[in-house]
Amino acid sequence: MIQVNHLSFRYTKKPFIQDMNFSVAEGEIFGFLGPSGAGKSTLQKILLGMLPNYQGSAMVNGRECKNHGSDFYESIGVDFEYSTLYEKLTAKENLQFFSSLYKRQTRAILELLASVGLENDADKRVSDYSKGMKSRLNFVKALLHDPELLFLDEPTSGLDPTNSRLMKDLILAEKRRGKTILLTTHNMQDAAELCDRVAFIVGGTIFALDSPHNLIMSKGAAQVTYTWLDHGEQTASCPMDKLSEDTRLHMLIAENRLQSIHSSEPTLNDIFMEITGRTLV
Amino acid sequence: MRFRHLLLWDMRFQARYGFYLLYGFLTALYLLLLVSLPQSWKKNAAAILIFSDPAAMGLFFMGAIVLLEKSQRVTSFFAVSPLSALEYVCAKVLSLSAIGLLVAAVLAAAAGCPSLPSMLVGTFLSSVFFTLTGILIATKITSLNQFLLATVPVEILAFVPAILHLFGIAPAFLRFFPPNVCMDLIAGRGFSVIGLVFTAALILLLFVAACRCVMKMWISAGGVKL
Repeated sequence: MIQVNHLSFRYTKKPFIQDMNFSVAEGEIFGFLGPSGAGKSTLQKILLGMLPNYQGSAMVNGRECKNHGSDFYESIGVDFEYSTLYEKLTAKENLQFFSSLYKRQTRAILELLASVGLENDADKRVSDYSKGMKSRLNFVKALLHDPELLFLDEPTSGLDPTNSRLMKDLILAEKRRGKTILLTTHNMQDAAELCDRVAFIVGGTIFALDSPHNLIMSKGAAQVTYTWLDHGEQTASCPMDKLSEDTRLHMLIAENRLQSIHSSEPTLNDIFMEITGRTLV
Repeated sequence: MRFRHLLLWDMRFQARYGFYLLYGFLTALYLLLLVSLPQSWKKNAAAILIFSDPAAMGLFFMGAIVLLEKSQRVTSFFAVSPLSALEYVCAKVLSLSAIGLLVAAVLAAAAGCPSLPSMLVGTFLSSVFFTLTGILIATKITSLNQFLLATVPVEILAFVPAILHLFGIAPAFLRFFPPNVCMDLIAGRGFSVIGLVFTAALILLLFVAACRCVMKMWISAGGVKL
């Protein structure tokens, strides 16, 4: 679906994106992770055909992004982090208006609203919506024309846990419908849960690209941490793959003296910091 | 199909934001003014009223319309939709011209204007000119105050020569100046081919510039913070 080869881009004399290479397969959820100013937005703008002055190649749907025609956006849906809705129109009117911009058959508006729990607020003006409701409406707006490729920017930002879960389920449902999804998020839990693969981007360069599971497993073994009482609470840790060699742990288990035991894996955030030397803020 | 929908939605937005109501009220006010004027003043007064308000409403309202869309970040979405800048500009021009033509027709009929078709052509050309100028300015500004300030030179440059020309006190060469050509048409005083060519050329130039500015605005305001 997306093929990027030796992609470079500069706003000034200094390169902003340097020799980037990656591909995204059809039906894949691909995550861009990186701090502000890393080049994620620029990369997305290139893929959306908005910055044609790049070097190298960026193909979307078999078409070079810089040469896209007027129907390029018929198969692309974009959910911005912020609301892009007419506040004075109702939710239904907004979706009717945005539907009218597409040539292809659009999805049933009331069904889309129902999928994000807004069916009872369809005739309410968007100005009366809460931030979470606007986020959900914004999301279904990107699905209106049933695009093959979805760009989602922080789709769970500002949502309460219930609606965040609902949104993630909707994203996974779109994946099951065969959609290719490009996700930008600062939420490592979301990235680990949703993405088939993630790319760590810093300074316009991809530092690592793999599945969240492989990234986590390749950089750090899971640890087991346990506590016991011996003149106060004592704590010790041992790598998961060296458990059989930890005689103290064996002894504590045999004597039933363990107070607590739990395993922990490095998070995607830990891996990001380890690989890039940066945090995601 | 898309353009027809866009045009109808633009008219719907304008109705929702009270443009039609406002112009209904203003038309009634202008009619009262025209009725109260002596017969010999009516034609010139109607020409000035038409040129400076319904025909020029695009200049006044494009700032509000574009700023509203910018503030609600709808322009960001346009940047990644199949909508073209040309369709966007044409819809804005035609939707605002429709109100202008309607109001102008009522005022012209009340004042007994000599040629309704000529007046309508003049109003339409003026409306296109002013709306395109309004779009050009609106894409560059970030507040309504900036817009109001930026439109003052356009108002002076367009209104003063046109009104002086209507009363025959403008230099002769200014008869080819596009606002003066429009004023001649609105007042039903005929037109020169050269003047019309100049007007068409200016409108074409403004059209190209407006489309470019709109696209630039969409890309810079839209998609930047994805």
